[in-house]
Amino acid sequence: MVVFALVKCQKSAVFPADQYDNRLSGGDATVFDATSKAFGNAFENLSSYDGYMHEMGDKVFSQSFVTAPAPIHSGLGPIFNNTSCVSCHHNDGIGLPTAGDAQSSLLMRISLPGTDANGGPVAVPGYGLQVQDKASYGLQPEAKVNIAYTYQTYSFDDGETYELRAPTYALSNLYAPISGTYLLSPRLAPPMIGLGLLEAVPESEIVANADPNDVNGDGIAGKANYVYDVITKKMQLGRFGWKANTASIITQVATAFNQDMGLTSSVLPVESSYGQTQYDSLHDDAELPDTTLNAVKFYAQTLAVPARRNTTDATVKRGEQLFMLAKCASCHKQTLTTGVNVAFPAVSNQVIHPYTDMLVHNMGIGLADNRPDFKAGGQDWRTAPLWGVGLFPVINNPGFYLHDGRARTLVEAIMWHGGEAAASQAYFSHLSKSDRNAVLKFLNSL
Amino acid sequence: MRGKFLITLSVIGLAIAGCKKDNANNSSGNTSAQATLEQQVLTDFAGNLANPNYQDIQANALVMNNAIIAFNTNPTDNNLAAIRTAWKNTRAAWEKCEGFLFGPVEDFNYDPTMDDWPVNKADLDNVLASNNPLQVSDIDQLGTTLKGFHAIEYIIFGVGSTQKAANITDRDKLYLASLGQSLYNTTVQLRNSWDPAQANNFTAEVINAGNGSTRYTSRLDVFTALVGSMADICNEVANEKMQTPLAAQDSTLDESSFSHNSVNDFKNNITGILNAYKCQYPGAASGHSLSELVASKNASLDLKIQSQINTAIASFSSITTTYEKAIYTQQNQVKTVQNAINTLKVTLEGDLSAFIQTNIKD
Repeated sequence: MVVFALVKCQKSAVFPADQYDNRLSGGDATVFDATSKAFGNAFENLSSYDGYMHEMGDKVFSQSFVTAPAPIHSGLGPIFNNTSCVSCHHNDGIGLPTAGDAQSSLLMRISLPGTDANGGPVAVPGYGLQVQDKASYGLQPEAKVNIAYTYQTYSFDDGETYELRAPTYALSNLYAPISGTYLLSPRLAPPMIGLGLLEAVPESEIVANADPNDVNGDGIAGKANYVYDVITKKMQLGRFGWKANTASIITQVATAFNQDMGLTSSVLPVESSYGQTQYDSLHDDAELPDTTLNAVKFYAQTLAVPARRNTTDATVKRGEQLFMLAKCASCHKQTLTTGVNVAFPAVSNQVIHPYTDMLVHNMGIGLADNRPDFKAGGQDWRTAPLWGVGLFPVINNPGFYLHDGRARTLVEAIMWHGGEAAASQAYFSHLSKSDRNAVLKFLNSL
Repeated sequence: MRGKFLITLSVIGLAIAGCKKDNANNSSGNTSAQATLEQQVLTDFAGNLANPNYQDIQANALVMNNAIIAFNTNPTDNNLAAIRTAWKNTRAAWEKCEGFLFGPVEDFNYDPTMDDWPVNKADLDNVLASNNPLQVSDIDQLGTTLKGFHAIEYIIFGVGSTQKAANITDRDKLYLASLGQSLYNTTVQLRNSWDPAQANNFTAEVINAGNGSTRYTSRLDVFTALVGSMADICNEVANEKMQTPLAAQDSTLDESSFSHNSVNDFKNNITGILNAYKCQYPGAASGHSLSELVASKNASLDLKIQSQINTAIASFSSITTTYEKAIYTQQNQVKTVQNAINTLKVTLEGDLSAFIQTNIKD
C-alpha cells in the first residue's frame, strides 16, 4: 500500500529513474517518522495477533525488573548491568557511553587470552564473558568499570580542527581476584531497528561479499564471523553485535536478559552468578516465561526502519556521490535483499538499504579492542548499519557513535576509521569543507 | 514503543500531502499570518504550558518535601496525611506533563529517575536493614526502582493504603527525608532545563525551531513531536497502564496501587493532552494553541478533537471505585474509558497528524 500510494503521487523530478523510492530504507518495513520515537515503530500491516505480540514485547522491553522474590517482574540480578532493556536502549536507540549509572548503556566483555573449545573467547573463572557492574542491594558487583578519555585535536587539510577522545578502560573493585592477564572489550547498546530484516538476509548473500584474503585487491577484506550459538549448540554465521558474535535475535535477546539483567529463561536457565558469591540459591528459574521471552524477541524482530529524509536535496545527492567515491560503500553496502520466507511475510523478499555488509573488517589499531571474538580479530568490527544514523541526535540527544560511543559526532566517527577504511577516511579528510558537509548531510538523511 | 497505527495513517497523510494542492479545507499554502500563528503556538506552548507545568511540579515537590520534614519532627497521622496530599498533588502535576513527554524529560531520563515502577521491595527492605547512611547522596546512588514517587508512595501509604504514622520507623523517616529531597532536586533539574533564564534551555530550542534551534530544524518538527507525544500517552494509558492489570486480572500490576491513585493518574495524563491541545495550565495565562491553529483551517476537526478529549476525561467519572477494584467489578466502565481514549488516539494519529503534515510547511 505504501508503494502504491507513493507511485500514485510520483513526479519525475522526485524519484529515481528506476521507479524505486530510495527513502524506503527498510522496504515495506519502513516508517515515516523522524521524531524521538522514530526507532520504536512496529512494522505496519502486522496481523492483529502479531501486533498484540509486538505490543506485549514492547511493554516488557520498557519494564523494570526487581530483585527476587517479588510478586511481579521478579528475577533481576543478583548481578546485572541494568534493570530494563530500555534503560540501555533509550528510545530503542543507541545508549549512553557511561558505566555503572542507572541509565548507563556500556557493558564490558571480558575473557582470558586464547580460544575455547568452540573457537570463542575463554570465560574468566568467577566472571564468565561479561562484567556485571551492578548488584542487588547489599551484594558486591563483579567490578567497577572505569572510563577515562584523553583528548587530542587534529586538523583537516583546510585547517578546520576536530577533536577525538580516546578512551581507556580499566576494572577496579574486583569482587574476586583474576589470575593473570585478561582482555576487555566495551560494547555500547546498539539501536534496535531493522533487526528482523538483517536476520532475514540469506547467509549466501552475506558470504558472497566476503573477501577475507582481499583476492580482488581493493584493500577491503571483509570476513564472515562464524560463532557458537548457545541455543542451537551449533556454529552459525554471526549477524548481530559489534563484532557479529551473535547468530540470531532469540540468542541476542535471551543472552541480554541473562547476562545484562540476570533473568533466566528456558533457553538459558542458569543464573549469570551461578557458582559465584552473589548467587541467590533461589529455585525460581526460569524467571522469564517463554511467552515473555518470545514477545521481546518478536518486538526486536519487528521494529521498523525510519525512512530517509531530504533525499532529493542537491547537497544530499552530492554527499551520496562522495560517499561512493570515498568507497565507504565497499563495506557500508547500501542494498541487501532479504530471502523469501512464507512463514514471516513481513520480512520476506525485501530490498533494504541498511548500509552494511554484515561482515567484520580490520578497522585499525585506533579502534582495536585486541580481544578476538570467534573469527573476528582484535582489530575487527562488524560494519555498523547506517540506517537511522541521522536520527541519533534526535532519538538519543546528543547521540554517540561507534562500538563504545567514543565518537560524539559523525565527523569523529568517520575520522576514527582506520585499517581497511583508512583510505576512505583519508579521502574524507582531504575534501573541502563544503564537500565534507555534503557527506554529513547525506549521512544525516539516513 | 509506538503502535502501528501511526505508520499507516501518517504514510497516507504524507501521500495526501503530496497529491492534494488546493483543497479548500487543507490549503497547503503558508501565509505569513499562519506562520505567525504557528510561531505564537510554539512560543505559548513553552511559556504558558510547559514552563508553568514544570514549575508546578517543582512547587508541589517542595511542599511534599516540607511535609516530610514536618512529619519527621512530629510523626502524627495528620502529618502523614499531609504528605499523602502533597504526594498526590505533586503526582497530579507530574502526570499532566506526561501529556507532552518530549525534550529534557526523556533526553536526561528525568522520567525513570522520578517514576520508575515497580518498587524493588526486596532491595528496599535490605536498604532499610543496612547501615547505609541514607543521605541524599546515598539515595542518588540507588537504582531507580528504589527511589522516586513509588518508593515514597510505598512508605507513606503502604500495601493497601494501610500505613500508620506509628509504624514508620526512624530508618523509614531518614529514607523518606532523602527520597523527598532527591525527588525535589530532580524536579528542579527538570524545571531548569526549560527555564528561559538558564543556559541551553529547551524553551529556546522550541521557540527557535527552524530558526537556529539545534534540536528542531523546522516548526513542523516540534508539532510532530508534540502530536506524537499526545498520541503516545493515549496508548500508554489505555493499552498499557489500564490494560495490563485488567487483562491479567491482577491489581498488583496497577502502578499506583499503594495510594489507590491510579484513576487520578490516568485522568491527569489525559488532562495533560487537553492542556497541550488548548495551551492552558491552571494558574497560568492561556495562550495561542494548537486548537486555534487547527480551527483556523478546519473547524470541524478542532471540535472533534476537543470533544473526544473531553469525552475521554469525563468517562473516568464512571469508575466509582479504586482501579484495583474496578478491574474486577467495573470492567465495562474500564473498557468504556479505554475505548474513549483509543478513539482519541486514532484521531490524534490520523486526522491531527495528517493536518500537521499538510498544513505546517516550515
